[in-house]
Amino acid sequence: MLVQRLLCGAVLCLWLILPFGNAGAFPVTGDQSVLPAGTELNEEALDQPSERFHSEAVGGRKSYLVNLGDLAFSSPDILGEVARKAGVNCSTCHVNGVSNARLFVPGLSSRPGTFDTTGALFNPKADNGIFDAVTIPSLRGARYLAPYGHNGRTASLRDFVRDVIVGEFAGPEPSPAILDAIVAYIQDIDFLPNPSLGPAGKLTANASEAERRGETLFARPFPHDPVLSCAGCHVPSGAFVDHLQHDVGSGGLFKTPTLLNADFNAPYFHDGRYDTFDQVVAHFDRVFALGLPSQDRADLVAYLKAVGDGMRPYERDGITAKLKEADDFASVLDTAIPAHDGEVIQLAVSTVGRELRELAEQFPDRRDTAVVGGREQRRVARTALKELVLSLRRVGVAASAERFDEAEAEYRKYCNLIFAAVPTLLKTAEPWSLFSPPVHDSHYAAMRQLLKESKKQPH
Amino acid sequence: MRSYSSKSSMTNSGAARGRELCLRRYRSVSLCLIFLVAVGVGATRADAAPLDEAAERYRSYIIEDIGRALAGARTLREYVGARDLSGAKQAWIDARAGWERSEVFTSGFAPDLDEKIDAWPDASSGFHAIEARLFGADVVNVEEQTDALILHLAELDAEIRHIALTPQGLLNGITRLAYEVGESKVDGGESRFSGTSLDDMRNNVDGIALAYRTVFATALEASDPKLAAAIQNYIEELRKVLDVSDLKRVDPAKLRVLSEELVVALQGSAQKIGLARPTLEEPLPR
Repeated sequence: MLVQRLLCGAVLCLWLILPFGNAGAFPVTGDQSVLPAGTELNEEALDQPSERFHSEAVGGRKSYLVNLGDLAFSSPDILGEVARKAGVNCSTCHVNGVSNARLFVPGLSSRPGTFDTTGALFNPKADNGIFDAVTIPSLRGARYLAPYGHNGRTASLRDFVRDVIVGEFAGPEPSPAILDAIVAYIQDIDFLPNPSLGPAGKLTANASEAERRGETLFARPFPHDPVLSCAGCHVPSGAFVDHLQHDVGSGGLFKTPTLLNADFNAPYFHDGRYDTFDQVVAHFDRVFALGLPSQDRADLVAYLKAVGDGMRPYERDGITAKLKEADDFASVLDTAIPAHDGEVIQLAVSTVGRELRELAEQFPDRRDTAVVGGREQRRVARTALKELVLSLRRVGVAASAERFDEAEAEYRKYCNLIFAAVPTLLKTAEPWSLFSPPVHDSHYAAMRQLLKESKKQPH
Repeated sequence: MRSYSSKSSMTNSGAARGRELCLRRYRSVSLCLIFLVAVGVGATRADAAPLDEAAERYRSYIIEDIGRALAGARTLREYVGARDLSGAKQAWIDARAGWERSEVFTSGFAPDLDEKIDAWPDASSGFHAIEARLFGADVVNVEEQTDALILHLAELDAEIRHIALTPQGLLNGITRLAYEVGESKVDGGESRFSGTSLDDMRNNVDGIALAYRTVFATALEASDPKLAAAIQNYIEELRKVLDVSDLKRVDPAKLRVLSEELVVALQGSAQKIGLARPTLEEPLPR
């Protein structure tokens, strides 16, 4: 408990002194949330990890299954009671499929970007009595990265997903259709393209001298154990993994993590003990007595950075991205309503409605005195989004009563609004929304000031 | 937006969405105009004269609730002057209760004062600025903020005695508040420092129930008893969801469903009682 309080205090102090720029966020405060005070979900960040879907990258489109999986992945409804009450869903930790490096839950996180999946908060039955937080993995390229879990305990992604939902988050047993969909979604998340790498994971001609030297060192046998090398486990031609578990002196057997796009996956090692590649290289140098001169270390780091790179790793959050997501999610209704699939209809109504409600809050109402200007535009934007939420609710009500023709008709009205009128209205209001950096900063500065006023002063 | 291919696997409704997309450039301007009318920019009140008397009856309740808020604020000022923290906290809670019951009325009919009294997030004035210091920092040096709160509540107390209460405005207020009740409070809600966000919600629902029962219930029961019963049922169900010991025990999914179904029902009721579709956002101060 003491550790928990100290951690909580440390995070709050850190948050209070951090500059509140685009990466600003707001931790949970008070004792009225199911999440512990000091919880940081980083949902307010303006720059979000970009999500690249394989189906779209090769010129196609996301399937119904992928969209349904994405929808379920973003829905608290498939998890247990605590997660539902907290609004926590899979994408809370895996933002657009990528690790949320700033997530911190006091008592469950040892540091930002880590989470104890066997803690008591979300599923007391899974509590193992050990504070063993692990890093939140990126799901980019997950289809190439079996087995799953830091210790590689589960061969099947489907089994792993089911265990997270039911075992770690106390959710109800997911239907086979939902499980298939989530697997399809995860398997469609691609690595970001990396122009530094060519076939077989080799550096391209554009690589620097340091990167090339690092590539050579990466493949060189360890001096005291020539059967080992970095490339022996991180196989360049195989997504930089060997699908095996190894003891690298970090406290047990853990599976080889991919190095692709790893620039964006810090902190490193299963428990997130290292922030940088320099520290990682130093660890291997020490544990395997590699005797690396400083130049070699620097070259290896340069190589790791080149391998771990990716194009456009982040994208600015905004109206376009939010509406596209809502549209992709709601698209499952194209199939679910004609099929009279009540489970999917209600999941879509609930999840998309929730997303649209949250989007409406990005347009502060007039009681937010920190935001100046665009009042009428904000008012119209909020109204438009509320109308969408209610339109979806009518779909849900009609479907619940098995009036599927009525649900279809209401869904068409929803489509008319969200495709035609709403984007223009929201774009018009965007300069006065929390997607606008100055407005974002002003709003959260007011929140921060309010929080500061609420702090007990030392006597 | 989502790209649409011509693949034959597209469903009928998907095709409809695709066609809409093709047309959207040409229709977006006209749809925006239609939408602006729908959201209240050009909405006009239909003839609802029979409701006017009922709206006037509701005035006495508003006077009572704002009076309670004002009395609470004045009591708060006394405790602040006496440096009595626990008394000040209780007075703040009492004042807040009267205010939250009045939100059906305040946001639409007195938006300027609503903004000054209930600004969020604002550390300089209003209920929450006082709350942060009283309940968060455990200090009572909120004289200036309390004086301003009293001033604004007193202005409101004077205004409500002669302001024109329209049934349309009250239906708008009920509907907006019903939607707001369903908002996520996972962060502890607006009254997170005092831990009274749950009370806020209960008082909001009480305010909705009172305004609905006083102004609209009789007229709707006469024109559509089934819908009237449904609205009454949604209000009772909301009360049940909020009948828990603390905010953490509220089922947010159930709360949101009920909130939205109540709003849908209230929207559906408007035509039945001779009113325009209620707006979902407050009008801007003129």
